Amino acid sequence: MSTLLITNGRVLDPCTGRDAVCDVFVKDGIIAAIGTNLDKAADEVLDATGFVVTPGLVDLQVHFREPGREDKETIETGSRACLAGGITSAVSMPNTEPVADSQSVIEFIQKRSRELGLINIFPAGSITKNQEGTMLSEMWELKRSGAVAVTDDGADVQDAGILLKAMEYAKTHDLLVMSHCETECLTGEGVIHEGWVSTQLGLPSTPEVAEDLAVAKNIMLSKRSGVRLHLLHNSTKGAIRAIRQAKQEGYRNITAEVSVQHFALTDEECLGYNTNTKMYPPLRSREHVEVVIGALKDGTIDAITTDHAPHIEPDKLKPFSEAAFGSVGVETSFAVMYTYLVLPGYLSLAEGIALMTYKPAAIIRKSKGTLAVGSDADVTIFDLNKVWNVDPERFYSKGKNSVFANKELTGKAICTIVGGQVKMRGGVVF
Amino acid sequence: MTVDYEAGLLALRGGRDVSFFDLTTIDALTEDDLSLIFSLARKFREGKTAKLGLCKGRSQVNAFFESSTRTQGSFDLAAKNLSMDTTNVGPGSSTKKGESFLDTIATLGAYNVSVIVIRAAEAGVPEMVARHVGAAIVNAGDGWHEHPTQALLDALTILDHFGSSDLTGRLVTIVGDAKHSRVFGSLVRILKKLRAEVRVAAAETLMPHSFERFGVSKYYDVEEALVGADVVYALRVQEERGARADIPTLREYSKTFGISERRLKLAKPNAILMHPGPVIRDIDVHSALVSRHPQSRILMQVENGMAVRKAILWLLAERYDKVRKQYVHL
Repeated sequence: MSTLLITNGRVLDPCTGRDAVCDVFVKDGIIAAIGTNLDKAADEVLDATGFVVTPGLVDLQVHFREPGREDKETIETGSRACLAGGITSAVSMPNTEPVADSQSVIEFIQKRSRELGLINIFPAGSITKNQEGTMLSEMWELKRSGAVAVTDDGADVQDAGILLKAMEYAKTHDLLVMSHCETECLTGEGVIHEGWVSTQLGLPSTPEVAEDLAVAKNIMLSKRSGVRLHLLHNSTKGAIRAIRQAKQEGYRNITAEVSVQHFALTDEECLGYNTNTKMYPPLRSREHVEVVIGALKDGTIDAITTDHAPHIEPDKLKPFSEAAFGSVGVETSFAVMYTYLVLPGYLSLAEGIALMTYKPAAIIRKSKGTLAVGSDADVTIFDLNKVWNVDPERFYSKGKNSVFANKELTGKAICTIVGGQVKMRGGVVF
Repeated sequence: MTVDYEAGLLALRGGRDVSFFDLTTIDALTEDDLSLIFSLARKFREGKTAKLGLCKGRSQVNAFFESSTRTQGSFDLAAKNLSMDTTNVGPGSSTKKGESFLDTIATLGAYNVSVIVIRAAEAGVPEMVARHVGAAIVNAGDGWHEHPTQALLDALTILDHFGSSDLTGRLVTIVGDAKHSRVFGSLVRILKKLRAEVRVAAAETLMPHSFERFGVSKYYDVEEALVGADVVYALRVQEERGARADIPTLREYSKTFGISERRLKLAKPNAILMHPGPVIRDIDVHSALVSRHPQSRILMQVENGMAVRKAILWLLAERYDKVRKQYVHL
């Protein structure tokens, strides 16, 4: 029976169209009332004057690494990192050890998340057994255990015949397929975007067509099968064009996301061989980043994610061609969105928040990401004036491999509430 | 005799230092650096294998994570001629025991030597090590990226032939596997610094992406590229570095891009033929051209290599300004 009153903040909820200074009253983990000068007694009052109050952020791509690689991250440390960044719901990626290709791993993740009581974790299962790309996983069982989607993220099902069958099977059980799009025989040994930067660095590179061809394949097969398809971490102008065209043709079953690094940074970050800049898809050249930003504006892209990928230091402190792929992201994603999209004027804050709240929630069909009265009280309070330097040593995540390390960002979560409970306050997670 | 010679070297250096602490890329070299290196190298060349005490008391580690006979031997002898103590750390050993790269770097740093010469199969290794150890790092070749001392000896060979201090108005035609060649990486950089006109002739599959941005022209026809060249520089097909799938056969490579006597005649009459070695005779270059042909400078390159390396090692191991480089301990 606990109550919470958040007063005088700029309440920004793109789902309902609300953008006004008012109060939010939370009771029993639900948004009970919103209005100006609410006269409600509450167990706790948070004065949000000068801050922005939004729905808790929803991140569709987070690698929690547990079970199996608890040295890199655990469900607990990853959840705390999410809270530090203002994220209240996350989809866990299945490339754990063992892979989440069975009910036992899905149920373990849910049990662990329940015990911790930190954020909402929606597990994704894998498309194929052990993500090997050959045998289908028991998708009905995965869904029944709680999986919101299947993905082989980290890999792409290379065999089109098997991918089509997987999509048809997923459609049978009304399960969302999330695709990491990559044509392995074109990527080859490539570790960076093919271009002038890769030539200067003398590194084996992956051509943009490796992504474009795989995106085209996934779109065509999803049209043929009728499955709901969500395209993960898109980065090229070719991918954006294909997605835009499919949507313009009226194809409704396709959604697409962009990970923060792909609208913020270019491959020039790789000069000097900083391995935190190594990821898949690679950071692309400026012409691609510009198209991606345009797609975030015009509705081609439905969600912004992090693809949070924690690694231990020895795995990153290796020659560039051998280092692990990926950057962490959950503690910086709002700030990156605000700094690189809103402040330069590409997107409004409401448009940016929409891509991080109700739109991603809709993709996984969860009623999250909104402050509508009656919805779950997952709320984040942001300070838009906070300018801060990214110091990974201060992260809650075990992974310190941030591609934004030592960069100055603007905007930070100062309070994160999940189910009506304050879980993070002033940068400190409880 | 040696005392006078050493005094001559010291006088020639005249208390000057180079602008860089580590030689990992040609990009870091200024025009002043180049002229200092070349003038010292010419003086070292006069002295052949004279034993000099210029770096006495200093130590060098040759960290060749990729095996090499020629370059390693050249760096080792150069260091010993300067009276440096040297040792070799090679592939196998600890890396096979599972030592992480992180620890390999830290170990090298802990030796507290003056110079570490590194050759690695992966681009960026010398630059990464240079960030974390106090020793001066010399890149002896990193993956497809660069091989700076090779470019320096190549440039010296060309400048000596033409008796000039830069290459304005000179045409250099490079033939072969530019994509996988670290020799190309450094060579193209130094040639552009010296203002040469550069043409590259190769199959499309052996050309790096966007490389015209170095300021070079691209040719599919080697004969067209050779017309009027002052320097013909042949690269080796780097089969071990991935070129195998990029051309159908070495036979076809030899027919389409191999430098024959007839093709060499398309260049200017006093043009020189160069190759970084080892030459795959009759594939990269027609066998008769390799060592005895009057236009070939292939052996001269090797001699210049030793001289250039002595200059570099002396300049990096002994600084007059006593400035120490900044680095971050791991």
